[in-house]
Amino acid sequence: MSIKTANRIRLTLSYLILLGAIAVVIYPIIWVVGSSLNPGNSLSSSTIIPENATLDHYRKLFAETEYLTWYWNTLKICFITMVLSVIFIGLTAYAFSRYKFVGRKNGLLLFLILQMIPQFVAILAIYILAFQVGLLDTHLALILVYVGGLIPMNTYLAKNYYDTIPKELDESARIDGAGHFRIFWQIILPLSKPILAVIALFSFISPFADFILASILISSDEKQTLAVGLFNMISNKFGNNFTLFAAGSVLVAIPIGLLFLSLQRYFISGLTAGGTKG
Amino acid sequence: MKKLLALPLTFALAASALAACGPQEGTTSTGGKKEDSSKKPEKLVIWEDQEKGVGTKDAIKKFEEKHGIKVELKEIPMLDQQEKLRLDGPAGKGPDVITTPHDRIGPLAIEGLITPVEVSDDVTKLYTESSVNALTYDGKLYGLPKSTETPVFIYNKKMMDKAPESLEDLMAYAKGDKGGAQYGYLANWTDFYFAHGVLSGFGGYVFKEDNGTLDPKDVGLANEGAVEGLDYITSWYKEGLFPKGIIGEKAGSTIDGLFTEGKAASVMNGPWSFQGYKDAGIDIGVAPMPKLPNGEYVKTFIGVKGYNVSSFSKNQEWATKLVEFITNEENAKVRYEKTAEIPPVVSLMEDPIIADNEAAKAVAVQSERGVPMPNIPEMAEVWVPAANALQLSATGKSKPKAALDSAVKTIGQNIEANHKK
Amino acid sequence: MTHRKTAALLSIIPGVGQCYNKQWVKGSIFLFLAACYFIAFLDFLNIGLWGIVTLGTEVPRDHSIFLLVNGVISLIVVAIGLGFYALNFYDAYQNGKKRDMGLKLNTLREQYHNVIDKGFPYLMVGPGFLLLVFVVIFPIIFMLLLSFTNYNLYNSPPSKLVDWVGLQTFIEMFTLDIWRETFISVFAWTIIWTFTATTLQIGVGIFLAVLLNQKDLKFKGLIRTLLILPWAVPAFVSILIFSGLFNDTFGAINNDVLAAFGIDSIPWMTDPFYTKIALIFIQSWLGFPFVMAMTTGVLQSIPGELYEAATVDGATTWDKFKKITLPMILFTTAPILITQYTFNFNNFNVIYLFNNGGPAIPDQNAGGTDILISWIYNLTMTSAQYSKAAAVTVMLSIIIVSVSLFYFRKTKSFKDEGMI
Repeated sequence: MSIKTANRIRLTLSYLILLGAIAVVIYPIIWVVGSSLNPGNSLSSSTIIPENATLDHYRKLFAETEYLTWYWNTLKICFITMVLSVIFIGLTAYAFSRYKFVGRKNGLLLFLILQMIPQFVAILAIYILAFQVGLLDTHLALILVYVGGLIPMNTYLAKNYYDTIPKELDESARIDGAGHFRIFWQIILPLSKPILAVIALFSFISPFADFILASILISSDEKQTLAVGLFNMISNKFGNNFTLFAAGSVLVAIPIGLLFLSLQRYFISGLTAGGTKG
Repeated sequence: MKKLLALPLTFALAASALAACGPQEGTTSTGGKKEDSSKKPEKLVIWEDQEKGVGTKDAIKKFEEKHGIKVELKEIPMLDQQEKLRLDGPAGKGPDVITTPHDRIGPLAIEGLITPVEVSDDVTKLYTESSVNALTYDGKLYGLPKSTETPVFIYNKKMMDKAPESLEDLMAYAKGDKGGAQYGYLANWTDFYFAHGVLSGFGGYVFKEDNGTLDPKDVGLANEGAVEGLDYITSWYKEGLFPKGIIGEKAGSTIDGLFTEGKAASVMNGPWSFQGYKDAGIDIGVAPMPKLPNGEYVKTFIGVKGYNVSSFSKNQEWATKLVEFITNEENAKVRYEKTAEIPPVVSLMEDPIIADNEAAKAVAVQSERGVPMPNIPEMAEVWVPAANALQLSATGKSKPKAALDSAVKTIGQNIEANHKK
Repeated sequence: MTHRKTAALLSIIPGVGQCYNKQWVKGSIFLFLAACYFIAFLDFLNIGLWGIVTLGTEVPRDHSIFLLVNGVISLIVVAIGLGFYALNFYDAYQNGKKRDMGLKLNTLREQYHNVIDKGFPYLMVGPGFLLLVFVVIFPIIFMLLLSFTNYNLYNSPPSKLVDWVGLQTFIEMFTLDIWRETFISVFAWTIIWTFTATTLQIGVGIFLAVLLNQKDLKFKGLIRTLLILPWAVPAFVSILIFSGLFNDTFGAINNDVLAAFGIDSIPWMTDPFYTKIALIFIQSWLGFPFVMAMTTGVLQSIPGELYEAATVDGATTWDKFKKITLPMILFTTAPILITQYTFNFNNFNVIYLFNNGGPAIPDQNAGGTDILISWIYNLTMTSAQYSKAAAVTVMLSIIIVSVSLFYFRKTKSFKDEGMI
């Protein structure tokens, strides 16, 4: 067998496997799109390619539910969470990468481990804390909890990335008289765009998925988030809103998908360096 | 050694010192302290069940006009309200009035989340005795009834001319041509709420009743009758008349879906579903449940939904007035028209609007044959093990007897573990 | 008496020691901060510390759980205060020592630079750390303390007070039959679930990343984007959709997919074995894109020379994967892979949303696919058994923390040997 045929076999096999993987990944997603276009209400009636496709559920979503409000709230929360996370994580990781201080060695790992502890009883505590500081039923409370939750893992990634930036760069700048913050701002920050983009993406999408915390901390209807709204559509045991839920989900997935697509370049290179120096 | 001793000693000292300080007598901290609850508040908040706000809106408007108090209505899934009240109440974000099914009254009262209502006999006389009893726990009345409900037999008039007399007839129909439907009859009989009627129609019971009090130590879900009942339920699955796809958690919505698409000719469901079925364009007929093969009636669970006053409310007197107002005859009638949920108001029961309505009458008749859901907190331990037994038998993994024995054992253990007073 | 002792002694009132050292500005700042602290927190600490000791004395004025939370917050505030207090002593002592030895003290300007220099990392880490204290540490302390109380349906505010009961809840747990009988089987499945689901999602992720990394493969970007899609859909949405697709009778998997291959319907939702398979599949579906993305990054950073050298030595593709690629990936991403395992150990959502731990299995107090966390949730939340829930969570946490600590240390020592 010549090398050429071997290569051809390898490539063909690879394509076949990848094609299979794509099919498995895409199937449920197409299915959701399909059922959002189905005229019926329930799952049992849905088909992947609807017979009488209708946009009725999308219309209903805007006309009869608070979908737009939820969407706006969620985008707001996601955006602020993203900005705050990038600032917090960027700074924290910089300190971890470049400075000596108490807790540097094990601090991050400690928090990574502590985060593994199941939190379902602890939600009580978060609720009362939010009450005590007057943040109950505000988006700020949610944002702070999300940001806090994002810090350990992402700081770890960012620190690894910073570690790959040669220290000589800071030192020469220091000799030129640059202060701590200027070094960070003018040297480290521009070089770490890829990892910051990754962190921005991670932190942007994480609030989309939370329906537990948001449902407990937020009580006003007009402050509700997408995840809670969508979840309520389908959690009602006696209700039958599967297709409506599907329509709502499609509209959630589209912008996130596009964001992924546009950030993909950063995404891979950001994690590259972040991963390699672990 | 001295140091070792000193440490706990200082702690103990500090602790006792701390125990001595704290808030001064009579100060308020968290927790609802009602000050002068007769003063007219600016606003009251009421938590209504999901999608049921339409029935209450008019009444609220009238109340606002009459008393000049703003009333804010929020829709929250009824079964989540207890959980939310537990946190929102003490935080001061809670409502003045909640709505809850009566089987939650016991736990809510024990936790002190809701408070007994003080209304005159003239008010309680408005409602059927059984509904008032359902909202009574430990001799005190917690709230006023909003609707009464029990599962009934619902059929698609296009496929079925009239409701069958007995389940045997129904089974024959389901084995026959089914009026063109895929399934002749569907019931969520792996959910204990729906299956209970069959089990108890054959002679099973949840808790032994003795003069109005329930004995949580005597669970009758594995007695001869219950086993016979489960045997009968299982036969529907065994014969393939109930598909496997309606077993388990999501069965309810699957059945609803099949019925609204005309794939099932008849179902067992409660009054809350009527409106949805009509909206889906199904011409429904409603009847009491067909008789069991032993000639007995299906003894379905009767549930009473009520409005209750939160004990965190600062305006309990006005909250009670609000409850009284929205459950009065006039407003109950409006709610019935909007939501098709049947209010247990005596005068309305005889009103042609209900008496001549097929669906409402069916619910009323079925209610007479049913038993109220237990409202003692031990009931919380029954649902899951009982549902497991139903499922195991329906899927043929256990014999009915073995499944129920095991469920009763588990229920007993859970009660023992979680309800030691 | 030496300066250092006098200064330290005077520092009992913060700032006075510094003033004694003639560092007036620093001293007054310290004094000012201390005054602020007391004015701001005294009342809160008073109630908070009283509350955490007594958990309230009077119903309905005192809500034990709110008092407990306030108590925990107070403890944190006290800890922060004590930290500063210690710093104040240390500073006065050190400067006093300098004076004893006849050294010149730092001028104000030098002090300022000192603070900026030494304090810079603290300044950067500080805000994040503070947030973590309240978001991560505070709930854990609360849960730990809750497990020593009797908070349940019958001892619940506002109608009753909650009391400290010591280890009673833990003892009860070990003596109750229901826990013992079911624990082993639930625990066994939890372990199997954690290992198979996580390993599969990691395996699939790495495998696809390696496939996609072949130089002569076309449409890489497109394929990668498509494969990353599961990540873009919120997990709870996907899980709920899967639970519809897997319906025994009406689901598309049985009706369309398997039917197309001529396979009979499989009881996905009613047979524990198949439900487990479905769950593992779903979790892999949800989890592989992250691993794939991360691995792709690692792969692109492996120097090509390594492979060339291996080729020269006559290594096969498999050899290269086993000796270079895989160790490289595992080595660089180990801590993150460990978090994937612990995440699945506690993956309540997928179990609960897919089939609520079902289907039922005979003679057991848990569903056929319940893992520890979902089982505990059902057992304790049906009748508000908060203290029990807390106690079990504490025990679970001990397991998780010690296992992951062990692995973290292992990967760390592995790392310290310096593989690259």
